[in-house]
Amino acid sequence: MSLLSALSISASGMSAQRQRTELLVENLANSDTTRTPEGGPYRRKDAVFVSDPSASQFSSLFESEMGSGSGVRVSEVITDKRDPEKRYLPGHPDADKDGYVAYPRMNPAEDMVDLLGASRGYQANVSAVSAVKDMIQRSLDLFR
Amino acid sequence: MSMNISGISSLGQIKTDVAAPSASDGGNSFKNILNNAIGEVESTRSAAAKSVEQFLSGNGEDLHSTILATQRAELEFQMFMQVRNKVVSAYQEIMKMQM
Amino acid sequence: MFQGLALNSEHYMSLLSARQKLVASNIANADTPGYHTQDINFQTEFENALGSHTPTVIEPEGLTVKPDGNNVNIDREARLLAENALRFSIASNFARAELNSVKTAIQEGKSV
Repeated sequence: MSLLSALSISASGMSAQRQRTELLVENLANSDTTRTPEGGPYRRKDAVFVSDPSASQFSSLFESEMGSGSGVRVSEVITDKRDPEKRYLPGHPDADKDGYVAYPRMNPAEDMVDLLGASRGYQANVSAVSAVKDMIQRSLDLFR
Repeated sequence: MSMNISGISSLGQIKTDVAAPSASDGGNSFKNILNNAIGEVESTRSAAAKSVEQFLSGNGEDLHSTILATQRAELEFQMFMQVRNKVVSAYQEIMKMQM
Repeated sequence: MFQGLALNSEHYMSLLSARQKLVASNIANADTPGYHTQDINFQTEFENALGSHTPTVIEPEGLTVKPDGNNVNIDREARLLAENALRFSIASNFARAELNSVKTAIQEGKSV
């Protein structure tokens, strides 16, 4: 049934945007982290979104084959592989023998903008749930 | 909204049938009216049952379609009850007249 | 006798449901690289009176494609979200009115 499928599609959208938000917040919180448990400075993380047809669990097999709508999911989290940024700070506890400290390669301004985008995206999915719920309620009103 | 309330208009037939001399002729017409009505009730009822089954098993049936199907079956049944009551009372009137 | 009662409204509501599902999909995939906006040709599907078949999914034209291949316009989807819900509400009111008028006609018939 289309409307129930729509709900699980929107739910997948909310989940994906939430995961994206968590990663962006982690990036921003760690923009100056020079020392991580894995060794070395913090490395930026990014969520990769892909379409997910199986998210519409209430749709019949026929419906999903026709390509009628799909959810979304985070297929993987990509860790930044670039070399860290080196800053010359000889007195720093994490400085190497040449006096350089490895800092995370970051762009906080970009991540802030992304955060706004993720928040808007999340809200849009919430609106979709609300609109679909209204239509389901209207259907039930046909009982009188 | 044009609806064919054929059940009620077929009661007009009863009046002309009453003019026939024997009660058995009147009985056949009554039987036909009732049988047809029962047939319609049954077909909308089974359509509604099928729609509910399709919806519950997730076979792509929309909720509003299922609800409308059950409402149609309900109305069909209510109509049938009215027709049945009219037919029964008309029959009783005829039987009274036969005495 | 009542098989055709509120059938037009029902068909309209079915198409709106299918369309709303695609809007939900577009909104969920607004940030998915390479995803293309999905829709149905509402007018054509409604005029084509066969209510039982699933409407054909099409890709609307005139949408700007972003660098990552995604062409979802969130303003368009937000507008359709509201529009579909409103139309659905109107159609269900029509359907309910049809059902109620038949119910009244049957009940009035009792006292005849």
